[in-house]
Amino acid sequence: MKLHLDDAELVACVGCGLCLPHCPTYRVTGEEIASPRGRIAAMRAIVDERAPLNASFVAAMDACIQCRACEAACPSGVQFGHLMEDTRAALAPQRSRRRRAVEWVGYRALLPNRRVLGFATRATAIGQRLRLVPKRFGLPPLPLRAPETLTADAAPDAYLFTGCVMDAWQRDTHRAALRVMRATNARVGLPDAGADCCGALHVHAGRYDDAVRLAGRVISAFPGDAPIVVDSAGCGAALLDYGRLLDTEAARQFSARVVDFSTWLVSRQLTLTPSDTVVVVQDPCHLRHVQHAHEPVAAGLRAGYDVRTTADDGLCCGAGGAYSAFQPELSEAVRARKVAAIRAAAGGVATFVVASANPGCAMHLAAAGLDVRHPAELLEARLGND
Amino acid sequence: MCFPSTTADVAFAVTTANRFAIPFVARGSGTGLAGGATPLDGALVIVTTRMNQILEIDADARRAWVEPGVLNLDLTRAVSHLGLHYAPDPSSQQACTIGGNVGTNAGGPHCLAAGVTSAHVLAVEVVLPDGTVEILGGLAPDAPGLDLRGTFVGSEGTMGIATRVCVRLMPDPPEIRTMLADFTAIEDAAAAVSAIIAAGIVPAALEMMDAQATAAVEDFVHAGLPRDADAVLLVEVGGLHGGVTHDASAIDAICRDHGARTVRIAADATERALLWKARKSAFGAVARIAPDYYLHDAVVPRTKLVQVIRQVYEISARYELIAMNVFHAGDGNLHPLLVFDGRTPGIWERVHAAGDEILRACIDAGGVLSGEHGIGLEKRDAMPLFFSADDLDVQARLRDAFDPDGLANPDKILPRGSRCGELGAIPDGAWV
Repeated sequence: MKLHLDDAELVACVGCGLCLPHCPTYRVTGEEIASPRGRIAAMRAIVDERAPLNASFVAAMDACIQCRACEAACPSGVQFGHLMEDTRAALAPQRSRRRRAVEWVGYRALLPNRRVLGFATRATAIGQRLRLVPKRFGLPPLPLRAPETLTADAAPDAYLFTGCVMDAWQRDTHRAALRVMRATNARVGLPDAGADCCGALHVHAGRYDDAVRLAGRVISAFPGDAPIVVDSAGCGAALLDYGRLLDTEAARQFSARVVDFSTWLVSRQLTLTPSDTVVVVQDPCHLRHVQHAHEPVAAGLRAGYDVRTTADDGLCCGAGGAYSAFQPELSEAVRARKVAAIRAAAGGVATFVVASANPGCAMHLAAAGLDVRHPAELLEARLGND
Repeated sequence: MCFPSTTADVAFAVTTANRFAIPFVARGSGTGLAGGATPLDGALVIVTTRMNQILEIDADARRAWVEPGVLNLDLTRAVSHLGLHYAPDPSSQQACTIGGNVGTNAGGPHCLAAGVTSAHVLAVEVVLPDGTVEILGGLAPDAPGLDLRGTFVGSEGTMGIATRVCVRLMPDPPEIRTMLADFTAIEDAAAAVSAIIAAGIVPAALEMMDAQATAAVEDFVHAGLPRDADAVLLVEVGGLHGGVTHDASAIDAICRDHGARTVRIAADATERALLWKARKSAFGAVARIAPDYYLHDAVVPRTKLVQVIRQVYEISARYELIAMNVFHAGDGNLHPLLVFDGRTPGIWERVHAAGDEILRACIDAGGVLSGEHGIGLEKRDAMPLFFSADDLDVQARLRDAFDPDGLANPDKILPRGSRCGELGAIPDGAWV
């Protein structure tokens, strides 16, 4: 089997190593092969047929969280995310039968089908109450009943993207986002049927065909030209990349409408009641390193909270979508570093809240015992009366 | 390869290498620019990245004990709340380790006023090539006896492996002013550098980037650098308010006298950080021009800067190569980069030939081989261009005193044939 990678993207790495401190897996292991530079060197060796494509290569590629902090740090602009996605795509057919079966259920059956996901959520919730679901899966307590339906405004000024897992598990976050958006006198629409999943996890796993199909469905679910507000950093990054994924004019126009929730709020009028609650902002990687849109989160919360930021250059928390399920050990080691940085930022106060604009990070950090909320929920709690 | 966590681990690795008579090489973050950490002949690579603890900070005495795998910038960040910093700041400072800095006697923009690594290392705990552990130097400003610490710093792993380092911490200057002057001719910028030094000013840093470098980094940092400038100077002064104001206005005047179009002053810490990010990203941004580069590190007298820079461009043009210059102008430490695509047939021969000519031009102008990157593997065979056979023999004997069995990073720094009577390849044109 061969690895087909964009040669221009591959040789763009000059090996300077400025990515190393920004790589969460390098930080916790200290091993070159766990760094972006080491991974690119390994890819090159495979492409040039200087090394065999064996289990240790696959393990090295699988250890990457795909946080893409290395991209933001790279002076030469190496598109590491694309290289890793292309590599995963090439490795997909080589996976064990069991892994492929698990992936099929997740990527083909659950995520893109709202009703199947809803049913599975309920079933898992019952399983959790009966203590049949092992803790090591790292799942949060899931809702037993189907959440209340969200209501859409006609002739919207903006849409709210709802997505798959977040809508099934954390619809209250969407509800908070809607309330905050409406508090700025915006009429907020919801997608037509079909926008069940953005396909972000599919792209990360190198399942391009699935991702392209899902993207097409999402695009046709948002008629008109109103901005599409996204309250999940991972989904937002995926939607912004549709132009590249589909390479069509319609996809590029769609991506141009996509904006993160906190960035959209920057140009809106919002009154908050101040409080002295300490909020530590965690920057989701796909907000900070991919969308470069992390600053409005802290800025938006300042009117209502005592906001602190971490001093770790936005190092990953280790969640990485499905990563925490497939690589529990590394994921926890990376999280331990993040939790320490969050506690340091809180500066010794006894109670504080962590703001996370990505559902995956929120669940992963909550599992470490932190009180994590979405910025929309924090804003909603401080909405002023005037 | 091994990943020790303690001094005892390193000593065990070295002892084991001795037992099997295999060479060993220490490696930090692998950001070196001269191949010093490249393993040869199946050498055991002793990676220090997991020895990454800051062991002790003594703010009053302004010193800290750190493990060799601590990243340079992490150290400064860990002491910044005390109003202190670790002065040597190589461009790779966010990634490189203190151990690697000790190995290469690393420099950096702020070494113009502060001095290079050697001036900031008080003591080093070392696993010697036979596996014994010693502390070289001491906590006093000037330890008594032979300065073995000074010998060890910059020895690139040929005299043992640092396992703990006691570094000097410097107080942050009360005021800093960072200026960016842009010139339409690189010769004017170089003349301005000489004039600033001649005026008796010692800036905290005095850096130059040429047009190629400026454009490449601007694509990355978006700092508003002038893309149409032939060269920019990044100048920083620090100290008490009166001194800073005086030096800054003098530098401003000198730059304008030498044809600077504008002199921009960083308005706040954010803008200053952005300008430094631009400078420190320069090597890494090279792939925006072409995917490979060949870099030299020669130091020339500041009065010869204009002449040597002209020669660098002339030589690279003759070999049809792109030259990029980013360097510590204040101390005449050139970093001419030849930028190319290694996939082009026959290009490596041209690059090596041009590189040799550039190095020769620097040495002819009274310069030296390396300012701060070390000799390693890559500049090893150029040593006879600068040192006589006697010089090399003395260095080889000093090294043998530390490592009689020749297992500590062999075949680095000194070319084969350095010892008197030893046979080896002598490069063409060597002064023998």
